[in-house]
Amino acid sequence: MFSESTLRRLDRLALVAQRVRAGVFKGERRSTKRGTSIEFADYRDYVRGDDLRRIDWNAYARLERPFIKLLEEEEDLAVHVLVDASLSMGFGDGETRKLDYACKLAAAFGYLALAAGDRLSVSVLHGEEVAARFGPARNRGFALRLIRFLEDVEPAGDTRLNAALRDYALTGGRPGLTFVISDLFAPDGHVDGLAQLQGRGHEVVVVHTLAPIEVEPDFAGDVRLVDAETQDFQEVTLDGGLRDLYHTRLTDWRNEIDAYCTKRGMHYVPVVTDEPWDQLVLHQLRQRGLVK
Amino acid sequence: MTLPFLTPLAFLLGLLALPILVLYMLKMRRRQVEVSSVVLWQRLLRDREANAPWQRLRRNLLLILQLLLLAALVFALARPFLIVPAVARGAVIVLLDASASMSATDVAPSRFAMAQAQVRELANGLSADGLLTVILVGRQPEVLATATRDTAAVIAAVDAARPQQGTVDWEAAFALAAGAARGGTPGETTIVILSDGGLPDGLAALPGEVRYVPIGSTEPIGRENIGIDAFSLRATASGPELFVRVTNFGTQPQRVLVTITSADQLVVSELVEVEPARSASVTLDDLVDVPSNFQAQLTAAGEAGGAPDAFPLDDTAWAVYQPPAAGRTLVLTPGNVFLEQMLASLPGVQAFRAAPDAPLPTDPFDLYVSDSLTETVAPAGAELLVINPISTTLFTVGEVFTNTQLTRVAADDPLTRYLDWSQVSVLQARRVAVPDWARVLVDSEGGPLVFAGETGGRRVAVLTFRLQDSDLPLQLAFPVLMSNLLAYLAPAQAFSAPDGLLPGETLLIRPAGGDAAIAIDDPTGQRFQAPATEAGVLFADTQRLGLYTVVSTQRVVGQFAVNLFDGGESTIAPATQLTLGQSPVTATPAEETGELELWPWLAAAALLILLIEWYVYHHGSVPPRRVSGATRS
Repeated sequence: MFSESTLRRLDRLALVAQRVRAGVFKGERRSTKRGTSIEFADYRDYVRGDDLRRIDWNAYARLERPFIKLLEEEEDLAVHVLVDASLSMGFGDGETRKLDYACKLAAAFGYLALAAGDRLSVSVLHGEEVAARFGPARNRGFALRLIRFLEDVEPAGDTRLNAALRDYALTGGRPGLTFVISDLFAPDGHVDGLAQLQGRGHEVVVVHTLAPIEVEPDFAGDVRLVDAETQDFQEVTLDGGLRDLYHTRLTDWRNEIDAYCTKRGMHYVPVVTDEPWDQLVLHQLRQRGLVK
Repeated sequence: MTLPFLTPLAFLLGLLALPILVLYMLKMRRRQVEVSSVVLWQRLLRDREANAPWQRLRRNLLLILQLLLLAALVFALARPFLIVPAVARGAVIVLLDASASMSATDVAPSRFAMAQAQVRELANGLSADGLLTVILVGRQPEVLATATRDTAAVIAAVDAARPQQGTVDWEAAFALAAGAARGGTPGETTIVILSDGGLPDGLAALPGEVRYVPIGSTEPIGRENIGIDAFSLRATASGPELFVRVTNFGTQPQRVLVTITSADQLVVSELVEVEPARSASVTLDDLVDVPSNFQAQLTAAGEAGGAPDAFPLDDTAWAVYQPPAAGRTLVLTPGNVFLEQMLASLPGVQAFRAAPDAPLPTDPFDLYVSDSLTETVAPAGAELLVINPISTTLFTVGEVFTNTQLTRVAADDPLTRYLDWSQVSVLQARRVAVPDWARVLVDSEGGPLVFAGETGGRRVAVLTFRLQDSDLPLQLAFPVLMSNLLAYLAPAQAFSAPDGLLPGETLLIRPAGGDAAIAIDDPTGQRFQAPATEAGVLFADTQRLGLYTVVSTQRVVGQFAVNLFDGGESTIAPATQLTLGQSPVTATPAEETGELELWPWLAAAALLILLIEWYVYHHGSVPPRRVSGATRS
């Protein structure tokens, strides 16, 4: 899923939450709280993938076992990645299939979280609830398992995004930085679910994923459009006028979501799947301050 | 008014509208396309229908266009037509007069254009069984269209035709028309003469029905014309004299200003008043330093000036001064009374005699005549007539022979024109080997008697006997032969047209020795070229009025003028009737009716509707080429 060079570049990155949530575990992340000093708190066992620089070599010399030193003032960050795996996410040709793209993004976000020692949960949304879950996991050693988990994700059924997000808000555990990767084509909408997540204290990043053929339809003339999820249909005669209107309406829709997110303090990242995913992570998210 | 149809049964094809409607009423089978979600599409279609109340109509635009297309095609197949007045119907032969008088502008823009419009009308109103033949009556009549229904071809050919500037050959045109009429069914052919009259007397009657459509105004403007019918410059004993004659061909007295110019310089301007059917002349005899050409122009008297009438072709005339030129001839002879008397009597020859032993005059001569000399004295390169020759570098002379019975006279040679040698007897002559450059004009059993030719840019003629040894000087053949030979050896002028030419007349131009080609520039500047031959160049492209310039390879030879000078053409009043054979043909109003078919317009409309339908169908139906990231937000 990741090339060696991409991994090296990801290693140098870390997710950034505007408001870090206090963790129950001692972490590698410096707290924003003031007045506390850098003090030793505890040891934990080294697991493969941990940063070697954080091994207490004195303890290793004495005990011949590697331990990681935990510091009092550091916190861990809960990172949630929610991947919409409805049938509509199965759209796109080859490299631009939305679900593949979403999984790559989820893997990248997950890898960043694991590499930083954050508490990572990855959930696949089907229907009204979480269909599959990975984590919580806390170190780089879980990276391979995360990738295998995401490789097995296949699109199925429809997603009641509002219901699924609401469910996750209740059952998803400690609030944190939450990525919602979806095309937002949900019959029941997405606004309530996002609001519920935020209400539970999550810092929400909406990654709005669209395939190129959804931005520029590749059909024309008299067609009967069938909804992949609901099997609803709509007959249209796609001419130049209607095509222009579609572009306008799509832009309006994205602007509406953007405006809603901005108003609620959420992050909105619109993305078309012909854009290289690593560029998105390494460049766009960094520009938006979500990655440092 | 009802619109008649030639094939009304074609309206049954209108029933084809039913399947079109049925096809539209059937539920359209749409291509199924799976999309990730129809939410956006449903939303935007709701928006669109809410904002566009005419949407339903627009959706049916293709149906409307297809029904219109069908209607246009069905109407075209039903062949609707309008009934229009026509001069004739059925098989029609049109004689379109292209004589000079058809250039008159008494009807706008001209009589010829009006006649062209009449032919177009005839062609457009041609009935389904009609056939149209159009003959342009010019100096050489030309068949523009032969028994055709192709209206477009007829109109294109007639539109390309132009009136000529001289008289035309009606007899030849009638012969063509009669031939064309005999090709059709007798009795059904109508011959339409589009003309302003001026047909010669004694024309044969035409087969079939003949109708005459007079072209031209019956108002005074269509009758009144004053023009120049003579303009010449002649040498008289007291010097050159210029003569202009102005004739009133109309019915009212006319006052005009006669202006004569030369090289844009005014020579004289004189006001003349001419009664109907009378002439007035202007004569100038005190011309000094006579220029080469003159132009006479008539303008209306009064401050306004301008053309005095509706026929401008005879308001301008040209004249070229051709001074009498004489060939200067030097006769080198010990004494020959026959020869000297003959040369003295020939027009255009200035003969001088010199003794053979005297030194040659230093002035060059146009021709040297060497008679029975014992040595060559003529300068090299000069034109030469040798009588009783001796050997020279040009030819070799042998012994004397006496069997001089005539064997052959070169009959088709211009040098033997009108020459009758049968009565000529020659006692003896010298045998001469005819060189390559020469041709034998008169041959006898013993050898050539007369030969001539051109070598090294000089012309040479040879009589191989002494004149005293024959009775030639006593025969009629002598002046004929000498005249022909001198015209060949020392032509006074390349051409002779002191009074100018009439349009279409031919001019014989005799090039000088050494001229390889002759070129003639017509008044429009168009150049005609022909290789120079000894027989001369016959120039016949004299259709345009004005000054023509003759140029040889070496020099400007001269100019000649072509003027209308034709009372028949200048009498522009349209004739009310023609006389063909013994019977008069009066002017025919448009009594018949023609059928102006409308199907071409309907077919054009159908094509236009088809194009619109194609555009409507394809406009926006083809997905645009996607530019990656172009619409990404």
